[in-house]
Amino acid sequence: MELKPILSALLRNKTGAILIAAQIALTMTIIVNSVFMIMERRGDMDRPSGTDEANIFVLSYTGFASDFNEQTQIVEDLDYIRSLPGVIDAIQSNSAPLIGGGWSMSLATEEGPDKNGTGTAIYFADDHAVNTFGLNLIQGRDFNPEDITWRNRTDTNWPGQAILTKALAENLFKEDWRNAVGKTVYISETQPINIIGIIETMQAPWNGWNGLERSMLVPQQTLFGGGRIIIRAEPGERDRLMTDIENGLMQNYKGRLVRNVRSMEEIREISYQSHKGTNTILLVLITALTIVTALGIVGLASFSVNRRKKQIGTRRALGATKFDILRYFLVENFLISSVGVVFGALFTVGLNMLLVSTLDLPSISWYYVPSGMILLWCIGLAAVYGPAKKACQISPATATRSV
Amino acid sequence: MLVMNNIQKVFRTEQVETHALRDFSLKVEEGDFVAVTGPSGSGKTTFLNIAGLLETFSDGQYHLDGIDVRSLNDNQRSRVRNEKIGFIFQSFNLIPDLNLFDNVDVPLRYRKMSSSDRKQRIEQALETVGLASRMKHLPAQLSGGQQQRVAIARALAGSPRFLLADEPTGNLDSSMAESVMQLLEDINANGTTIIMVTHDPKLAARTPRNIFVKDGVVTEKKRSSMDGTDSLIMQPAIA
Repeated sequence: MELKPILSALLRNKTGAILIAAQIALTMTIIVNSVFMIMERRGDMDRPSGTDEANIFVLSYTGFASDFNEQTQIVEDLDYIRSLPGVIDAIQSNSAPLIGGGWSMSLATEEGPDKNGTGTAIYFADDHAVNTFGLNLIQGRDFNPEDITWRNRTDTNWPGQAILTKALAENLFKEDWRNAVGKTVYISETQPINIIGIIETMQAPWNGWNGLERSMLVPQQTLFGGGRIIIRAEPGERDRLMTDIENGLMQNYKGRLVRNVRSMEEIREISYQSHKGTNTILLVLITALTIVTALGIVGLASFSVNRRKKQIGTRRALGATKFDILRYFLVENFLISSVGVVFGALFTVGLNMLLVSTLDLPSISWYYVPSGMILLWCIGLAAVYGPAKKACQISPATATRSV
Repeated sequence: MLVMNNIQKVFRTEQVETHALRDFSLKVEEGDFVAVTGPSGSGKTTFLNIAGLLETFSDGQYHLDGIDVRSLNDNQRSRVRNEKIGFIFQSFNLIPDLNLFDNVDVPLRYRKMSSSDRKQRIEQALETVGLASRMKHLPAQLSGGQQQRVAIARALAGSPRFLLADEPTGNLDSSMAESVMQLLEDINANGTTIIMVTHDPKLAARTPRNIFVKDGVVTEKKRSSMDGTDSLIMQPAIA
């Protein structure tokens, strides 16, 4: 290997090499951190909501007529929907996972003010909730019909029982969540709630919330003048039922608006729209930066080949094979890239530390840095291959000609 | 021994066909010192390029040290160049970013020699040309004559059978040219075969054998042994 002469030649022509190394370092810093952010977002987007998303859809209703009796209407609507062929179950609720709007409260394991509470999303629902959402009840029992009460907008009292997600139970009972069933937690500081069941997963309505997995089912149906109906269809029936039920409800009673009929898949899509947008922007940035860096390397290598035509011809005349010439340029580029990726690794970690401290992002996983280094090395070698191949074609007779 | 028989070299473009060498035949014995002269564009450099395996030829036969050159692939040609031929160029062709030691090292590296062997050869070659004390200098820090001496050291370091020199004194003033020519004569006296292309009739006159190339055709200029003066005898350059 002719590392030493390549290195000494590079050190005598530093400017171009330094610029490319700096570009590689910058590119690596941005690419690695961007890829990390993309993967973090993808990870967030892939978290399961805990529901049977493929078969669930949600609609909103708002009563406006003077004869609108919400309690009666809810019962009639749910009876109607549940009787339709293709419907597995349906509930009225205040919210649904990832929908963006909902209710949250603080729960504590001890009664009284100034107790450290744990935030939780609240889903008001009847004894059909577990079946409608397709939740996995892993401990305790479901609600019974007699557990369900009605809740007015002005009510401040809470029913005495609830079903919690495992994540919420883990947070409340850090020593052992498995013993949570039967225990009492307190809401609004003093109101006791007996935990009757644990469900494996049910995400909250807000995807950006750090307690996304902490939710609680409360056995109440709401009389807030409007709400949501969640319907679970049999596989393959969802799209048909979305239209049928919207039309059916409108026909059954015209004193309330039915709108925002959306599948859970659409709700997820809308919920993570900004994530997807940011990821797209980052991907475009990464691609553009990679192309610019690769073009920079191609440019420098091509310039270098053109400038050294006579030198290459002389090397060939003195016995270099085409492969020797190819290897020379690949090694030269590898050395430049190596300087770039080493600084790139330092800058990557530095930028991540800055992002962690300022934007509360998680620390980058260790394998991102070596992966980035390998990627940039490969980009460098791929970019220089063309000009290096061109250099191989320079005739040894160039040594005796005026170039 | 270098033997060329009826070598043809034709450069073709879409419109033009140029015969750079026509029925070029030449035999160079081991230990010869041959000067190749001729007007510009006569085919001297083309001959040197073909002799040095820098270019291929269109037709004919060429045996270098018993090897049929035509049968060699590109890698084999590189290897023959590296092991059997030393080149000296008009404009020295030193690599400006490398010091003298590394410049002389270039062909040796391609021969995959051990670093200790290379070091010994480089030091010896630079010693031969009188530049051993300046091996850490860059070419730009030397005069033209010294640079050509480095190029000669580079050519000699691999102990080649043939030294091909393309206008080795063309870029030098007369005193430097004289010292370089003296060096070449010393090298030839030690048994290395030299073929030198030159424009300078005085330098050509110092060599035992003169080849004249015109319009791609070679003739040999034989010396008269009677009065020591040259007389041009047009005859094929092959015995």
